[in-house]
Amino acid sequence: MKALIILGVLAVSSSAHAERWQRMMDRVQGGAFLHYELTGLEAIDEPGPTQTPNEMVLAGARLHGFLGKGASVAYHIGADLFAGSTLRGAGFAYDVALFPVGIVVRFGKTSIIGFSAGVGAIGAVGTIDDAVTVPVEAIAEIGNAWRLLARARVAYVAGADSRQSAAPSIPFADELDAMLGLRFGHHYDDHGFPTGNGYFLGVSYRELAGTKFAGFTIGYSIDMAMPRRFTGNDNHDGHDE
Amino acid sequence: MRLALAALLSGCVIASRSLTPPPNDVTTVALLTGTLGPPMDGIARHPWFAVRKQGETRWTVYEVGGGGTEEDPFRHHEYYGHPILHKVWRGDEADRAAACLEREAEPWIGRLHYRFYPGPNSNTFGDVMLRKCGLHASLPATSVGKDWRGVLGANVTTEGTGIQLETPILGVRLGIKEGFELHILGLAVGIDLWPPAIIVPLGPGRLGFADR
Repeated sequence: MKALIILGVLAVSSSAHAERWQRMMDRVQGGAFLHYELTGLEAIDEPGPTQTPNEMVLAGARLHGFLGKGASVAYHIGADLFAGSTLRGAGFAYDVALFPVGIVVRFGKTSIIGFSAGVGAIGAVGTIDDAVTVPVEAIAEIGNAWRLLARARVAYVAGADSRQSAAPSIPFADELDAMLGLRFGHHYDDHGFPTGNGYFLGVSYRELAGTKFAGFTIGYSIDMAMPRRFTGNDNHDGHDE
Repeated sequence: MRLALAALLSGCVIASRSLTPPPNDVTTVALLTGTLGPPMDGIARHPWFAVRKQGETRWTVYEVGGGGTEEDPFRHHEYYGHPILHKVWRGDEADRAAACLEREAEPWIGRLHYRFYPGPNSNTFGDVMLRKCGLHASLPATSVGKDWRGVLGANVTTEGTGIQLETPILGVRLGIKEGFELHILGLAVGIDLWPPAIIVPLGPGRLGFADR
């Protein structure tokens, strides 16, 4: 009898939990993307006034998510964690950033274009002075199985004099970092959720510590989203694409 | 050298174990993993132990979220794709392992407060059973959750020739066979010394020779 009561309570609480979850799912809609990336960069011009590396390899992950009430605009957050080395200097290098503030515009099934801002840190032992950064980033992920992956980030540096105004092409920020890639992957619509994954190849460009770098990125990308549901808040005729 | 280079270039694993089930002349215990469904299939695997006692024709499966008996859990294990056979134990060693799994698996799963990421999850179960039963094998890098030890944990590795220190954010595994493996937020990268391979958090979890 005691077991039956416990089972009954569990069933009711489980059902209540499921209902709460369903209500939340009905109120909001969103998605996420994850990249594993490996980037190799080489200096393409003369080093700047400071001791900058000639090459840099960084590997890591980007995890970003977005959530909103409507089908077209969502709040966006993200975290990027990268570590590696400046090859010939053999110094440990890192590049991390958190993006607590951002906005994306959704279109298609899982495509997004957006902006975000946050706080980060970049440095390399012996070659790039450690510094806190304030990155502002524009991102675009467009397409399904074949997917365009684009990112451009400018950063304002605090704490390292040698890295101030150190992006030759942009007078308004201290550093620049960009990547343009194409994913050759798969798109799925299993269980009512549009998702995708696959390997991608991209070109990378960076201006850091007064030096321009260019290189390649290889990686693996996953995207997933809740199906877009158009509500009264969306300027649309009411149907998903 | 050529084989290692070929593995790196092709992104595959050399000398993978055959998925043909061994004969039932003695007791057999096998550790397998398979991919989750899309879109996680490239980055996440799930483990199961398959046990068949001497003379039996069906396999008993121990895993989180499943279990029971199956005809061929080597090649067809429902919901999970691209199975990899990581290790097989036969004879007396398998008898001991089968008894241990029978004793330890169900109570551990019963106490499990499952969390998909970073753990404890089905891969934590696989790792715990390997250690509890003294079975020397490794789960692949894409078995995310295998290194979950709570807030802080340290132990001898499942292979038995190394040590491991883990927190949810950062962890490290060092060993004679295991080489060096760094764990960042549950993702593993490193170098396996024997069999030689680069550990990556993608696909089968390694570029190089299959684990032994």
